[in-house]
Formats: sequence, structure tokens, C-alpha cells
Amino acid sequence: MGRRADIIAGLGGATPALRRYARALCAGAGQAIADDLVQSALQSVGARIRSRELRPADLAEARIETYAALVGLAEKKLANAPGPASRHPPIVHGLAGLGFDERAVLLLVSLEGFGYDAAARIVGATRETALARLMRARAALGVEGLRPVALLEGARRAASHLRVVK
Amino acid sequence: MTPSALIEEADLHALVDGELDPERRRKVEDHLLQHPEDAALVEGWRRQNAALRAAFEPVALETPPLSLREAAARPPAPPVGQGPIETGAIHWGRPGAAPRPPRKLDEIRASRRRQALASTLLTLVAGAAAAVAALLFLASRPPAPSPTLTMAATSYAARAGLTYATYILDARPVEIDAGRRGELLARLQERVGFSRAPDLSGVGLRLLGGRVTPGVAAPAAFLIYQRDDGARVGLYFERAEAVAAPSGQRGQVSVIEWRAGGFAFVLVGALPPSAMQAAAEAAAAAVVASPTEAK
Repeated sequence: MGRRADIIAGLGGATPALRRYARALCAGAGQAIADDLVQSALQSVGARIRSRELRPADLAEARIETYAALVGLAEKKLANAPGPASRHPPIVHGLAGLGFDERAVLLLVSLEGFGYDAAARIVGATRETALARLMRARAALGVEGLRPVALLEGARRAASHLRVVK
Repeated sequence: MTPSALIEEADLHALVDGELDPERRRKVEDHLLQHPEDAALVEGWRRQNAALRAAFEPVALETPPLSLREAAARPPAPPVGQGPIETGAIHWGRPGAAPRPPRKLDEIRASRRRQALASTLLTLVAGAAAAVAALLFLASRPPAPSPTLTMAATSYAARAGLTYATYILDARPVEIDAGRRGELLARLQERVGFSRAPDLSGVGLRLLGGRVTPGVAAPAAFLIYQRDDGARVGLYFERAEAVAAPSGQRGQVSVIEWRAGGFAFVLVGALPPSAMQAAAEAAAAAVVASPTEAK
């Protein structure tokens, strides 16, 4: 009982990362769509955990389920969403040019730092399929106009789960 | 795009994504030294990763909008066009208002029965408790254990703030100083169950030492770090059994709380918020590092 409540409360801490993923997955289609997706995904997973339809062993598993819900919702919602505007950086235009499946896996691994197994589970594919999508995405994305790797690589990764209490 | 027979393209991706074990990783890195065209591929993918993070990391650093706070803890809004029909009655003439499937109804009834049973039991227990309390009172015996024990349970952040206020300016702020690091870590391992003192010298904070201190539900550790200008920051941690809501602290003290490896960590101090954030990030990264890196 208490553990379910803990997991649901813990999902709140995943919200910033989910927003980041949703925004990237929408590839310039708009902030409102992305935030709607995050809200729907969190509410649906929260409700399924409460109704015991979903019994995640820990927060990490619940997080994976939430990403999976988000990907499922996004595929329908982004079917005819607008593309990026000219003010967006080249990488966003590159993302918008990818197929939805390729984009979903690429962002899970590259942006969210999921391992291959977790990413495959989120998109509901085998590890081999997910890896093939990742390879296709990287080949299609290219490196045109991208700057060399910046210094801060990785240093900010820890920031997303810190919470300023006061 | 012609990785050698031993190293496949998948290995190059796995190198970028940190999916290789150390031995395989070394082989792939050796391969890259001899195959500049593959090294260029890897470098390109790393650039893609960096560009993605640069474009979208700011989103994760924003404060989420009100609609998303605790969205998981709220039930979803009922779909438009379908009223909250809970009785299972057929509503004639209302498009979209189909009767609930019988399976769903059974679930609802079962959950209502569970709720009814639970509330009955709760009422009985509460009644029994009230009767016992009344008997004790009437017999003018010393009162039963008061509920202050549960009331005293407070948040980790509040406890960390109290510990900070108690020790940070104390004449003996630490029990065991950093010079006896091994002894300090051994004691923390024994009493608190977690013995890593993150190295925060990267953000200008030097470990002064630490102590075991009363926590919310168990012994907690309180490490004190000091900057060259004398400003001090405390790092508090305790095994996170009970979840307590965080709360603010008095004065200009910043409190940053996070969870890792089953422990609640709280960094307390009066440095500027940006310095506190940097220190917390360094500490958070250090405590999740593999135990072999513990110094």
C-alpha cells in the first residue's frame, strides 16, 4: 500500500525528464502537445498502479512504464502535428525528419540515457529491432552543422532528480 | 562504414551508449585507433548526442507547469461526452453512454465491498481504541502512550536543517575529522549503513569530517564540508524507510533533497543557490558512482 503510494509520488520526480523527452519527441510540434502527453502518461500510469493493473517492482520500472505510455500516446497524437519552425536548431529539424519509431528509440538512448534493454521495452520491440532503429536514426540524422562535443557532457545528468526543497 | 570482422557497427553504437563491458570496450577503442573512418562515425554520434542534450536539457531544468505537478497522483479526467455513470444503469437515448461491461461492474462492486469491509474494521478498531482510552482515563491511571511519537516523525529535510543548526557552528562540529577518514567511513557503515563521503573539491568544498546523528527513524550521518572562505555545508543522509514530506527551513539556509540507492540525502547550507545546486549535483553524482571509487 505504502509502497504503491511511494512509487506514484516518486514519479513526480521523473516529470522534468519526461517533459524533456516529450518535447524532443514532438520535434518542434509544440510545447502544449508535449506537456499534454506527459500529463496523460503520468495520469494513466498512476491510475493503473492504483487499480493494481500495473504492479511495478520499483520506481525504475514505473518510470519505464510511464515512458512506454508516453510513446504510445505520442504516436497517435503526432500523426499530423505541425513540423518545426525556422527558429528551431538544425538538430530539431533533423529529428522531425526521422520516422516516429526511429526518433523514439534514438531519444530514449541518446537523450534519456536508457540502456538498450530498457529502451526496447519502452517501445515494445525486441532489443535487435530497437538497435536497428537506433542505427537508422543516427545514420539519417547526420552530423551536418553540429558542433564538436561540448565540455559539459554528462555533468548535468545528475541534475534532473535533485529537488530544491527551499 | 566498414568495421572490421571482429568489431561490428553495433559495437560502435554500444561504445557511444555505454553498453560494453570493460574488456570489449578496450577492444573497440583499440579498433578505433586503427580505423579513423569508424572513429569519425563515433565522434559524429557523440556530436548528435551533445546537440540533442543542448537542445532539450533546458526543458528538464524548467519548473514543470502546475498541471503536471503530481499528475500521477490525480485520477485522469473522465472522457468528454461520458458522464460519471457508476451504477451500471442503461441510460436510454444518451449517445455514447453505453452500459459498463459486466466485468468492470464486478470489479467496482468488489472494490466497494473491500472498502466497506475496511471502513467497518477501521470503525471497530477506532471504537475499541476509544473504549480503552476512556477506561484508562476513568480509572485515572497514567495516560496511555500519547500519539506524540507519530507526530514527531518529521521530514528528512527538516531533520537535516535541525542537525545543521545544531552542529555547523559548534566548537566541535564533527565527531571524527577528515584526517581519520577510514575510521569515519567505518563508523558510518556500522551505524548508518552507507559509508561514502563524496569528494566535493571540484566545487571548492573540502571535507571537514562527520558524525552520527539522530535521524527521523534511524541513525543518520552528517558530513560537514568547508569552503576556503570558511562557509560550511552539511550533507545529511539516512536510510529512507518512511517517506516524509519535505518542508522548508528557517533563515537563509538552502535545503536540497534527493534519493539514491535507498537513502535520502539532504544538502544543507547557506551558500548562494547556484553554489548549493552545483555542490548537490557533485554529491549526487559522487554517491551513485561505483563503490570501488570511494576514497
